[in-house]
Amino acid sequence: MDFKKLPPVQEQLMKCVRCGKCRSVCPVFAEVGIETTAPRGHVFMVQMLRDGKVEPTNEVYERLGQCLLCETCSINCPSGIDVHELNAAARSYIYDNNPSVGKELLFETLWTKPAMLRSSARVMSAAQKLGLQSLARKTGLTKILPGDLKEAEQMMDNIPSKSARSRLSEINLAREEKKYTVGYFLGCGTDLFSPNVAVAAVDVLTRNGCEVIIPKDMKCCGLPHIANGKIETAQKLAAHNIKVLNAYDFDYIVTDCASCSSALSRKNMEFLFAGLKIEDAALALSEKVLDLTVFLIDVLDIRLPQKKTAEKIRVTYHDPCHLANAQLIKDHPRELLRRIPGIQLAEMKAPNTCCGGSGTYSTTHYEMSMKILDKKMDNAMETGAKILTTCCPSCIMQLSYGCKRHNWDVQVLHPVELLSRYYQS
Amino acid sequence: MDTSQLKQELVQLLGKDKVLTQDLDLMYYSYDSSFLTKLEPAPPNAVVFPKSTQDVQKVVEFAYQNRINIVPRGAGTGETGGCIAVQGGIVMDLSTWNEIIEIDVKNMQVIVSPGVIHAELNNELAKYNLFFPPDPGSSMMCTVGGMVANNASGLRAVKYWATEPYILGLEVVMPNGDVIITGGMKARCIKNVSGINLTKLMVGSEGILGIVTRIRLRCFPKPKARGIAMAVFDNLDDAPAVVMDVYQAGILPSGIEILDSSAIKAVNDFKPQIKLPDAEAILLFEVDGNPPSVEYEGQVIQEVAGRKARTVEWATEPKRMAELWEGRSVTAAASARVRPDGSRIFAGEDISVPISRVADTLRALRDLADQHGIQIVNYGHIGDGNVHTAPVINPEIPQEVEKVIKFVDEVHLLAIEMNGSTTGEHGVGAVRRAYAELEHGKAVEYMRKIKESFDPAGIMNPGKVF
Repeated sequence: MDFKKLPPVQEQLMKCVRCGKCRSVCPVFAEVGIETTAPRGHVFMVQMLRDGKVEPTNEVYERLGQCLLCETCSINCPSGIDVHELNAAARSYIYDNNPSVGKELLFETLWTKPAMLRSSARVMSAAQKLGLQSLARKTGLTKILPGDLKEAEQMMDNIPSKSARSRLSEINLAREEKKYTVGYFLGCGTDLFSPNVAVAAVDVLTRNGCEVIIPKDMKCCGLPHIANGKIETAQKLAAHNIKVLNAYDFDYIVTDCASCSSALSRKNMEFLFAGLKIEDAALALSEKVLDLTVFLIDVLDIRLPQKKTAEKIRVTYHDPCHLANAQLIKDHPRELLRRIPGIQLAEMKAPNTCCGGSGTYSTTHYEMSMKILDKKMDNAMETGAKILTTCCPSCIMQLSYGCKRHNWDVQVLHPVELLSRYYQS
Repeated sequence: MDTSQLKQELVQLLGKDKVLTQDLDLMYYSYDSSFLTKLEPAPPNAVVFPKSTQDVQKVVEFAYQNRINIVPRGAGTGETGGCIAVQGGIVMDLSTWNEIIEIDVKNMQVIVSPGVIHAELNNELAKYNLFFPPDPGSSMMCTVGGMVANNASGLRAVKYWATEPYILGLEVVMPNGDVIITGGMKARCIKNVSGINLTKLMVGSEGILGIVTRIRLRCFPKPKARGIAMAVFDNLDDAPAVVMDVYQAGILPSGIEILDSSAIKAVNDFKPQIKLPDAEAILLFEVDGNPPSVEYEGQVIQEVAGRKARTVEWATEPKRMAELWEGRSVTAAASARVRPDGSRIFAGEDISVPISRVADTLRALRDLADQHGIQIVNYGHIGDGNVHTAPVINPEIPQEVEKVIKFVDEVHLLAIEMNGSTTGEHGVGAVRRAYAELEHGKAVEYMRKIKESFDPAGIMNPGKVF
């Protein structure tokens, strides 16, 4: 991959006039307040890299790595610059010049091999259940997590013992007259950390006339790799998934994970494959991909029967960056919640401000992540909600940790879990 | 003093959390929004982040004793290189010192530290039905300190004018480290003609006379109602004529904006759904005040503008007002996207001319752009004759850069020729100082004398203004 020839690097760097609007929307800049964290600062530094004014060193990576890649600056940029793409491209360029063993092990070995990732999670889960954190440490599993071990352990102290994959069949038949054949893209986060979301998604889809197929040999969507300077690996993963998914004749491909749907979106495919031979196949795949909430509202238009027993419950909703910013999807999750009898949606302040999770960011930049999380939790708690909802497993993990951190006794769920519960009640 | 010693001394003075010393970090302070620094970023020798008057004083005394340049900086949203250490030295970033010290509701004034963001100040003041009226386009990110330094204004200058009339007093760290308070040491009054007006002298002096560390500013009652009128013209000359007609009819709108045909096309290309009418010019009037007066003024504008305009639409309903204003609010973004392989730049972007010569100026700008083969988008605050020209070039093609530099020079000369000024609200900074003699003649000598008496060591933001 030639960094300097990537479309955003070639076309967008010159467009930044350093107007500074990005300073007013960036959650990291809001905490730090100095220019080294401003999105326009990142754009400037990418330009310096391209022009050879700075070397691709770890010091430059560290500064670019302060960005959450939440895309808030990108959607607010008057010049239309995809700041996150420039940042990701630069990280990859620097990483190629400064590879690290730990990252290679995690992103090249573990995170490209779903079976290995799953068994690692099982070992960690078992160790936690037995109170044997040290065992997990000895296995070296937590050591290869990016960032600080102690914090990573805190964040991941409740790994489910069974993955979604082990609880669900490959083929799940429609429970009423079949309307659609749906490919369910089971993301790593949902699979390992929020398997109940996947079970609920399959339950709701099959109840509504969908035959749900979870292809066996799918791999990670590649978004964690993009964020961690491994664009070429992300390309390989995407190419693999394109081949696997395009081999089926799906009407739609649905995912409950905001990050996965954004990774499979047209925009990201263009970023990864612009001008390459595979681009057409990639875009053909993207055409079929929908976030689960969009599919449930726009395609299935689900309507729920009123039940006398429907319990009234106050719910608030957090917009994942990869849904609200990357795909401009804000209404569908809310509409879905509104359609569930008994749910009272209470909006929090700044619902589409990042929660600070951003995949591996919460472990690589724990302190910053917590500052951003604390603001989010204050806004969420102010609603007096009993359930906090969101559409991203990384956000679910971060917000769950936030609840624990703030002693706030609420459940953090994907809206589809509430929907499934309602069907079953 | 060598750079490493300078950094060490600053760390000793302020502590390491308030100083940036690594060369890589200093690069981030080599730019603002000017085309100049896009072409030639100029990193400082150190950056400091004072959080108190004492912090500022310590650094200034140190710099004065050692003859080291100091460049004050707010959010770095300026378009003139004003906050850049073009001759080296210490950049003093005041944006992290952002404290609303006191809202004195009874006396309709507020005291702030220099780093408070304009929009955040107005959000706080709104709780007391007050507001600080100057309204720069960069409200979301610019600092009040930066507004004071540049005497910033914006969309509502027609009625509310610029920053200067609202500044009741300042605390300033002078270039030798003295701390003075202008506008009366203990004063909380609004009217005050006691002494030479140093407040007025400091506002708009672009950081060359001292560093503003505390600002006492006047607030106005927040208007309860607002209305927007859009008038569409087939003849460019009719637009400024209607502005005068509206004034003659006894109406002073809060803002009057113009989009010429270049801006209309840019907006429609960028967001076709806005559907601005194809025309030579569009005027947008904003009026504010109490509901009956807003309605009355709206009716007068409709009637007066209707005599020359193709169409006039008036709205007070929020959704429709936002729709009418949308064309103006996306103009900057639209200008950025006129060319997929280019970008708008901030250069020659802020001339100010008499209202009676706005139409001639817009035509002359188009002619100049044609002569130089440069695409431009024109918009601006026609109510006070402030024209924003956005040249659109590929800044990475040297020939285009060369052409635009010549074009920009002629734009500035045009402004002076039209009995105007090279800058209406953005300031001079490093980019327009070459025109000082031409614009001000012998008055520049007296500006220099003032500068020398305040800053005999010449350390305060050198290379700016004249």
